[in-house]
Amino acid sequence: MKLPPFEVHRPSSLYDASRLLRDLGGDGVPINGGTELLLAMKLGLAQYDHLVDLKRVPELRGVRPISTSVSIGAGMTHRELEGSPVIAEAVGEMPRMLAEVANVRVRSVGTIGGNLCFADPHSDPATFLSAVEATLVLGDGSTSRRVPVDQFFLGAYETVLEHGELLVEVTVPAVPVGTGIAHMRMKVHERPAVTVAAKVTLERDTIVRARLVVGSVCGAPVLPQAIDKLIGASRGTWSERVREVAAASAAAVAPVADAEGSSRYKQALVEVFVRRALDAALANASGFTR
Amino acid sequence: MTQLLEHPAKSSTAVGLDVDRVDARDKLAGRAEYTGDLHPPSMLYGAVLRSQFAHAEIESIDTSGAEATDGVIAVLTGDDLTDLDPYYGHALRDRPIIAIDKVRFVGEPIAVVAAKSQTIADAALSAIDVSYRVLPNAATLDRALAPGAPLVHEGPVRPGLAHGLGKLPEREGNICYRYGFSFGDVDAAFARAAVVVDDEYVFPAVYQYSMETHTTIAHHRGREITVWSSCQHPFLVRQEISELFEVPLDDVRVIVPYLGGGFGSKSYTKMEPLTVAISRKAGLPVRIMNRVDESMVTTRRHNMKCRMRTAASAEGQLLGRVVEMWLDTGAYADNGPRVTATAGDAAPGPYRWEAVDVKAQCVYTNTSPAGSYRAFGATHLQWIGESQVDEVARRLGLDRVEIRRANLLARGGQVRPGAKGLDADLVGDVDKVAAALDWSSPRPLHRGVGLAVGLLAAGAHPVSMATVRLGADGGVSVLVGTTELGQGARTVMGQIAAEVLGLPPSRVVVRGTDTSYTPYDRSTGASRSTTVAGKAVEEAAAQVLEELIETAEATLGVARDELVVSEGRISGGGAAMTYEELIERRFGLKGGELIGHGHVGPRGGSGGFADGPVFWEVCVGGAEVEVDPETGIVTVLSVSTVADVGKAINPLLVRRQDEGAVMQGLGNALFEEMRFSDDGLLLNDTLLDYRIPSFEDLPASMSCTIVENEDGPGPFGAKGCGEGALAALPAAIVNALADAGVQMTELPLTPERVWEKIHSQHEIPKNDSKEERYQ
Ligand SMILES: Cc1cc2nc3c(=O)[nH]c(=O)nc-3n(C[C@H](O)[C@H](O)[C@H](O)COP(=O)(O)OP(=O)(O)OC[C@H]3O[C@@H](n4cnc5c(N)ncnc54)[C@H](O)[C@@H]3O)c2cc1C
Repeated sequence: MKLPPFEVHRPSSLYDASRLLRDLGGDGVPINGGTELLLAMKLGLAQYDHLVDLKRVPELRGVRPISTSVSIGAGMTHRELEGSPVIAEAVGEMPRMLAEVANVRVRSVGTIGGNLCFADPHSDPATFLSAVEATLVLGDGSTSRRVPVDQFFLGAYETVLEHGELLVEVTVPAVPVGTGIAHMRMKVHERPAVTVAAKVTLERDTIVRARLVVGSVCGAPVLPQAIDKLIGASRGTWSERVREVAAASAAAVAPVADAEGSSRYKQALVEVFVRRALDAALANASGFTR
Repeated sequence: MTQLLEHPAKSSTAVGLDVDRVDARDKLAGRAEYTGDLHPPSMLYGAVLRSQFAHAEIESIDTSGAEATDGVIAVLTGDDLTDLDPYYGHALRDRPIIAIDKVRFVGEPIAVVAAKSQTIADAALSAIDVSYRVLPNAATLDRALAPGAPLVHEGPVRPGLAHGLGKLPEREGNICYRYGFSFGDVDAAFARAAVVVDDEYVFPAVYQYSMETHTTIAHHRGREITVWSSCQHPFLVRQEISELFEVPLDDVRVIVPYLGGGFGSKSYTKMEPLTVAISRKAGLPVRIMNRVDESMVTTRRHNMKCRMRTAASAEGQLLGRVVEMWLDTGAYADNGPRVTATAGDAAPGPYRWEAVDVKAQCVYTNTSPAGSYRAFGATHLQWIGESQVDEVARRLGLDRVEIRRANLLARGGQVRPGAKGLDADLVGDVDKVAAALDWSSPRPLHRGVGLAVGLLAAGAHPVSMATVRLGADGGVSVLVGTTELGQGARTVMGQIAAEVLGLPPSRVVVRGTDTSYTPYDRSTGASRSTTVAGKAVEEAAAQVLEELIETAEATLGVARDELVVSEGRISGGGAAMTYEELIERRFGLKGGELIGHGHVGPRGGSGGFADGPVFWEVCVGGAEVEVDPETGIVTVLSVSTVADVGKAINPLLVRRQDEGAVMQGLGNALFEEMRFSDDGLLLNDTLLDYRIPSFEDLPASMSCTIVENEDGPGPFGAKGCGEGALAALPAAIVNALADAGVQMTELPLTPERVWEKIHSQHEIPKNDSKEERYQ
């Protein structure tokens, strides 16, 4: 419950940060807001002698529109992104999702990159960004690679990041007209017990694309297959199909029981929130087609 | 004298006004001093090694590694206390200062290291080797009560020095205290009943969660002991330290700076004996400052199981009630016996019964000790009793306010045999809550409204002294042992003195307690301070005024009934003198001071203190809730409380008290629950998984109505406040949820628990089925 002693390093470029981490090996770890890492160290769940602070790495900062998407620096805090007009313009649901993360104290220092890289199973951004098909740029200052968010997580607290590799930016496609997005979540304690995000695209009142992500109940976000049942549904039939998808999605996930709830309860919540998220996404999509 | 105490036609200078808190500026600016801010010369830092087992024999402790660590000055274990009788406990003297031969809960102190820095002390703990022989444990109520259960304590019962519970019965198994009473013919009442509600209920263990953890600095100097501590009851701490360490009362000095909240967690004796013991060994002052997880195993609220039956006639007359309850006091009694008795007193509820039978048991288990927490006993029982009253009304098709109006005790009515009669207008209070909730307006599906009324035996033991000093510059200082723990005690005590002396409150200073100089006060708790200690302050201030008047009579040559006291001066016969001038006249120099003493006791002071309790605190409140049947989430939309305070010395502070109690009531009702593993390990000892209410949880609407019937035994007809709303809120919320269709019998109302209740027996209610109920 007490923070053990450590040394802090403050590199000023992505390249330096990566090199420092490679040199330090297992004794070093990146830190941004520290809301996850320092807590884990206080609880004795993690121990490092060297913390490499990313706050002065310019490559991790900023929000930029790039043709049909937005590029978000991994070192941006939830609070900074919540108020970004660029994001609000391109992905209207995202600021609302971010505003529900944690509390204002955590959001003021906690970063989007820290959230994703920690890979806590209970995550709003991980669920949301998977649904909107965001891509992550991972790099070390000399090379970089792009990974879709839903391939970033290997399981609880595990990602594809290599040692010394950093999450540099998150690229989020802008939401086109005719596409609706919704993010639903519920919490019992601090972190969400269940998160569901949906994205649907309508053409002439028919669902042509649909994507569904169930988060926070398993080790990593899950993409239920059952969502395919929605394709081809039209305004008259989709409400019933949504219910079928919700029931099938709930049946397909095997939630992990923890302090947020039993497996049985979470399964029921998945059904409820899948239905609500799809209903809301469809309402949003319809709003645009009108 | 008596005439002055009645305050003839004098406009108010302080009492009844929304005076700002005198401590607010210092606290906001970070200037206010708490125990953790103090640093006596050569102070060492203590760290506590705690048991990992709920029940085990200690085979050996090897401290040599810790002792050899650089910077470690002393290491304390049970072996250091063989020259003392090292057991304490104000109710039952059952607790060793530090584990001796045996541990009884996870977290029990086994060794203390005192070192030159906190880092050294913490690190040295890992150099202590303990070898245990693990014993079968009784870490749950059911296991502790089972036949052949492992015994938490085996020796004979020893009464503590302040139990106040009459003759203590012998222990039976793990039951450490029994309380009960009955009157009337229960069988006859139940035989006559048209409706009997009968159910079993579970109340969880809850942590008081004050912002400041328990913090104590002690210096055992041989003949004298000085203790700085975050304690609510400095004089009781002094007494226990004096007995334990065999040092005369007067040579134990307890100093109390500001407290960062208490809520009962700092009542009686907590970390003080351990800190004094390590200082005795080290020969230097030592500080022990708990972490939150350590404070969580230092004290908590009792978890409880209860069975209650309520009988009523077909017309809705409440006939009889039978209650049996088991309160889990953990490994040591702490205030458990008193909590048990208060829970017993709260069990019937404030109704005119023909027959009542209450049995309350206080049970030892191998978990952390449980003690006081704001509105103890009443919070445990009110939601149960009131939900049965609602259920009677529902089954008989009666309005839930009407059934209360018809059955509530009237002023003077018998609450419990042998106790003071009712001193409040409960029907009036209930009507005010109902009106604030817009009781009879129709509500949409999944919404419900509920209210609850109860009584809490308040005031504890009414013994308080106070001294008021009027200095040569006309400034006043009040010496009173009430602990300022955020409730605004210093502000209110200052207002009382100011009012009596006709001065603005800004002329009065109230400081923290130093038992060497501050006169005795039994305790800060049980909503007693304004009523009991405030009465002593009023009397002390009146004595000072009396001396001023005598001086004025002599100086101005005017008879006392022609003198007028106002704005810091006394006038008569065309002349006026300030208090400064009167003091100068009296002593013949610009110096000296006038000193007044006040005291309150069961027999002395005002007659209002003769029968217990000092007063019945009214616990009344209401809530409107909405439930989402698909998720089980309960949202509290609005709450309303009535603070029946006799006279609001400071209406602003009364409201703040009710608001704070409402928030804690929301926590107790909806979120808070200490979860122990089967082996007695506390599983949720951080705020990440022990959920307390935050500002996000504030109901959209909160209203507090202040009732001033001037019917309290305190100064100006005041009686205490600040606990009632906490007892009432969980009850009101449970009743509102039942009105929305979900009758719960276990707290807290977590979404999953509510969802389970809904889905265990029924389908999700359809739109027309407000009648459908999840029993
Ligand atoms: C009280 C509380 C409530 C919370 N509630 C929610 C909630 O409701 N919903 C939700 O989704 N989340 C919640 N969280 C999680 C919160 O979003 C994260 O704590 C925060 O975003 C992490 O960011 P950080 O910068 O503080 O991470 P840090 O603690 O600095 O880092 C976290 C981890 O990521 C690594 N890391 C950080 N940045 C990078 C990078 N650029 N590249 C590679 N590795 C990196 C670090 O090495 C570390 O292992 C909550 C957290 C707390 C403490």
